[in-house]
Amino acid sequence: MAATAALSFHPPAFSVSAHPREAAAATTRQPLHHCSPLRIVVPRTRRTRLLRARSSNGRPQISASFGTSNEVLDGMPTGDGAQGHQGGSTVSITVVGASGDLAKKKIFPALFALFYEDCLPEHFTVFGYARSKMSDEELRNMISTTLTCRIDKRENCGDKMEQFLKRCFYQSGQYNSEEGFAELDRKLKEKEAGRLPNRLFYLSIPPNIFVDVVRSASRTASSSSGWTRFIVEKPFGRDSESSGELTRSLKKYLAEEQIFRIDHYLGKELVENLSVLRFSNLVFEPLWSRNYIRNVQLIFSEDFGTEGRGGYFDNYGIIRDIMQNHLVQILALFAMETPVSLDAEDIRNEKVKVLRSMRQLKLEDVVVGQYKGHSKGGRSYPGYADDPTVPKGSVTPTFAAAALFIDNARWDGVPFLVKAGKALHTRRAEIRVQFRRVPGNLYRRNIGTDLDKATNELVLRVQPDEAIYLKINNKVPGLGMRLDRSNLNLLYSERYRREIPDAYERLLLDAMEGERRLFIRSDELDAAWAIFTPVLRELEDKKVAPELYPYGSRGPVGAHYLAANYNVRWGDITSDDSAF
Amino acid sequence: MALSCMRCPAAAGAASARRAAAQPLATAAAVSFARCGGFGRSAAAAAACWRIHAVAPQGAKAPMDADVKHVVTPPTSPKVENGSPSEITLDDFEDLSALCKNDDSTVSITVVGASGDLAKKKIFPALFALYYEDCLPKHFTIFGYARSKMTDAELRNMVSKTLTCRIDKRENCSEKMEEFLKRCFYHSGQYDSEEHFLDLDKKLKQHEGFRVSNRLFYLSIPPNIFLDVVKCASKSASSVNGWTRVIVEKPFGRDSESSAALTRGLKQYLVEDQIFRIDHYLGKELVENLSVLRFSNLVFEPLWSRQYIRNVQLIFSEDFGTEGRGGYFDGYGIIRDIMQNHLLQILALFAMETPVSLEAEDIRNEKVKVLRSMKPLQLEDVVIGQYKSHTKGGTTYPGYTDDKTVPKDSVTPTFAAAGLFINNARWDGVPFLMKAGKALHTKRAEIRVQFRHVPGNLYKGSFGTDLDRATNELVIRVQPDEAIYLKINNKIPGLGMRLDRSNLNLHYAARYSKEIPDAYERLLLDAIEGERRLFIRSDELDAAWSLFTPLLKELEEKRIAPELYPYGSRGPVGAHYLAAKYNVRWGDLSAEHYKA
Repeated sequence: MAATAALSFHPPAFSVSAHPREAAAATTRQPLHHCSPLRIVVPRTRRTRLLRARSSNGRPQISASFGTSNEVLDGMPTGDGAQGHQGGSTVSITVVGASGDLAKKKIFPALFALFYEDCLPEHFTVFGYARSKMSDEELRNMISTTLTCRIDKRENCGDKMEQFLKRCFYQSGQYNSEEGFAELDRKLKEKEAGRLPNRLFYLSIPPNIFVDVVRSASRTASSSSGWTRFIVEKPFGRDSESSGELTRSLKKYLAEEQIFRIDHYLGKELVENLSVLRFSNLVFEPLWSRNYIRNVQLIFSEDFGTEGRGGYFDNYGIIRDIMQNHLVQILALFAMETPVSLDAEDIRNEKVKVLRSMRQLKLEDVVVGQYKGHSKGGRSYPGYADDPTVPKGSVTPTFAAAALFIDNARWDGVPFLVKAGKALHTRRAEIRVQFRRVPGNLYRRNIGTDLDKATNELVLRVQPDEAIYLKINNKVPGLGMRLDRSNLNLLYSERYRREIPDAYERLLLDAMEGERRLFIRSDELDAAWAIFTPVLRELEDKKVAPELYPYGSRGPVGAHYLAANYNVRWGDITSDDSAF
Repeated sequence: MALSCMRCPAAAGAASARRAAAQPLATAAAVSFARCGGFGRSAAAAAACWRIHAVAPQGAKAPMDADVKHVVTPPTSPKVENGSPSEITLDDFEDLSALCKNDDSTVSITVVGASGDLAKKKIFPALFALYYEDCLPKHFTIFGYARSKMTDAELRNMVSKTLTCRIDKRENCSEKMEEFLKRCFYHSGQYDSEEHFLDLDKKLKQHEGFRVSNRLFYLSIPPNIFLDVVKCASKSASSVNGWTRVIVEKPFGRDSESSAALTRGLKQYLVEDQIFRIDHYLGKELVENLSVLRFSNLVFEPLWSRQYIRNVQLIFSEDFGTEGRGGYFDGYGIIRDIMQNHLLQILALFAMETPVSLEAEDIRNEKVKVLRSMKPLQLEDVVIGQYKSHTKGGTTYPGYTDDKTVPKDSVTPTFAAAGLFINNARWDGVPFLMKAGKALHTKRAEIRVQFRHVPGNLYKGSFGTDLDRATNELVIRVQPDEAIYLKINNKIPGLGMRLDRSNLNLHYAARYSKEIPDAYERLLLDAIEGERRLFIRSDELDAAWSLFTPLLKELEEKRIAPELYPYGSRGPVGAHYLAAKYNVRWGDLSAEHYKA
């Protein structure tokens, strides 16, 4: 389905986007754009088939999860609708919560980067919406301080920024006020100027007002003839019930395919690459199962704490903040069966299967920790409970390690160890795949007694310094026969000089294109919560005390004992781990 | 400490270090040298202890005799001194090694043909490097033997010009050189004269004193005098109480018959165990590493079969021609010179089943099985070429037949490409393509493993029509710039979904800053230690010849004209058509190929 939307952002083909057949014809003429939404180049015959398979309103053919309220149609407008808008189409992006941190640091810069790269449609408008009073000029001022050009693309940077800022506007209003959004709607219509209007709302607001905004915006500011989509940020509830409740509320006003639940980790370059590695190389897939893989580790660490902003975090804790979403999503991508195609629904179907095959997490499979104050080199780093926004007796975990299992044919018995923490010694996100030892190893004498210490390991480092490497055993050059573990590696920064786009750029572009592959479907979310809800509840009911660890340390030692239970060693904390 | 030549497993090395630390410095090197032999069930272990056994009757070590006797079977034939008693296990060796005193033995290395090019360029420097690294036994003597009259001093002078220290080991370099040269001597004599070898024997005995004498003869001489030298040396200069081994260089005959005749000739005077047929390619670092890669990593072995591998390419190229020295070459041609030995040996190592152990006989048994499973080459599976002169940038490079030592009408191939098949369960139907040539655009030796395409590839749309062009490829580059890399498909960072073939790579120069030892060092050390893993057994040689002999005969009988290619080019295009026949593309000549 990306195919049609894709064309609409290619300026010359823009006006024909509405008509599938013409669109297909256009494809044959137009060279692929560099950010072409035809990102997966589908062979022509297949592309045509896809286009024809669309229903008249262009919605994907998902059997389940259609909302009951269908007044607002997502997807491409009907042929009739398109013909009514000879001026072409336009996209209006409204950032709700425009004065917030995320909006300033991530969303506006990502939109500008897309603009700079010519990935936005020719006609687009950016609106900020928030409660504070502000003029368009003030908004532009605020935004302009955070816009940057990529290091390798500085040409006309100032001009481009100016052009971009001219398309940015501001509308002040209450989040639960239908009038405020009606006012926005009027302004949007002005800018849309008779073109086919498509509208994207980015909700960069606290979760308690999600539903208010969705109700008001969908009722009064939906597109009349184009699509209307909402990007929602985490948290998606606190547990199965609250998440289910949120989904039900959203679905009162929106259909499933209008909801884009963002998980920015899925937009990271190496997470995208995970599927490419698995499915476009012959050498990995035969190894991708319990026959060869001993364990999988998903590791996330931050080298800073809540730093005075622990109010939100304390309500959620690291398990909800990182594990239940980012890490489990990556796990699902890692472990899923080969999907029928790369279409969003095919991939999400496979991910749901993995999540539903997973065992519910038990208390004994979890270690929680919380960082405490630590002085080093004359500086003292505050503990979590020292944060003035955190209640004094808080037992909220800032660190957690857990062992997860997928009870299916491919992964039965393979521990998936996940670990996430704040205020650790390093900032890192990576996937480590530890392979089994070589059966009947001829070189076992060179390896010593612990054969598991010399196994192959595949590491995908998501951040920082994106890299892929495979630890192999080889011979140390020289006359003797000494073995060494070296890396077959690909360091992105060496091979790919250009800056890697921020995850938000990709995700925003995908949302505009209606590419849902990297967004979380409601049933995925339900399945993910089902794994964690019982243990979260137990932790809270029993007020299980977290193991304290010093700020800047490697985390609680309990994580090692948890790993030892499953005969695993954490790959990131070993003495022989090189800089890679 | 001789840990730099540590050939022992890490644990044994550590044991040796511990023992050495507890002993006076003088014995430390000797002990660790003995440990160097502790690789596998080592013949050196046996040899070291056999020395004791041999000395024992003289009364010096009588108390130990009983200890040793029950594990070491005394040789039944005077020629089998270097037999490797298979009863010795590593544990036995642990116990025995403390008893063995290497002070009692010595090694004399005689380079027959000492004034030749190979001796000067490779053998003496390799011996010096081993000496520098403390890998030679404490007592050793080096003799040069040739026809020309020369004094010891003249030999030393000649040798000293080619000795070098490794870049990373320059300490005391000149002192070490001097010490080394003091141990070098020269003896002039005819190659077919028993008396002259008897004179050598006398001189050797002088240097050996009362130690157990072990003798290694390196035959760096033309093949037509192999047998003469072996006869004279074995009859009049064999060790009486230690081992006597002979290293023989290629060519080992010209075809099945002449090779078999040579083997029969050698075996009149030597037993199989004494013959060390050297193939210096097997001493190359990455060829050694091939088995380590395959057998100590889980991730490669599951892929190592026809199920995943589409084809294997063994490529050897030189960027120079015969350069006025084509006389020898013209009698053999590239197929005999490179393919039948170096490339085929690598192929056998690549394709063999997992051996029972890393011991020489186990590995060679598996290699022979591969060779015997192969289909003899047919004429239509081969393309041959010969380089012609070429002018580039004002320089004219001579063609092969311009070489004064080459007959004008020679049809000897300087280039050959061949498709081979192994008819066994693992490799049935997988083409093994070989290519070797002189005077090409580059100097290179590599193994390329092309994998099959991904069945039902989800990303097939991104690859275009030819799925085989985006398959994984494992490249093991033997020279220059040793490297291993695996070509994988990955996503080009950015908003689009464009795929790219990038390399997961290990570049040796970047990771291992120390100089990689020359193949000859390893092989000489192995011969001294009696480690036969990297030497070619007679039955291997027979099997190798039987693959190529019918083809070679046919080429010569029909005087098949080679396809001419310009000096410095990529070789005859015929090689591409040959590859196309098996649905293969040469991995080294693709447009997208770049230096990893």
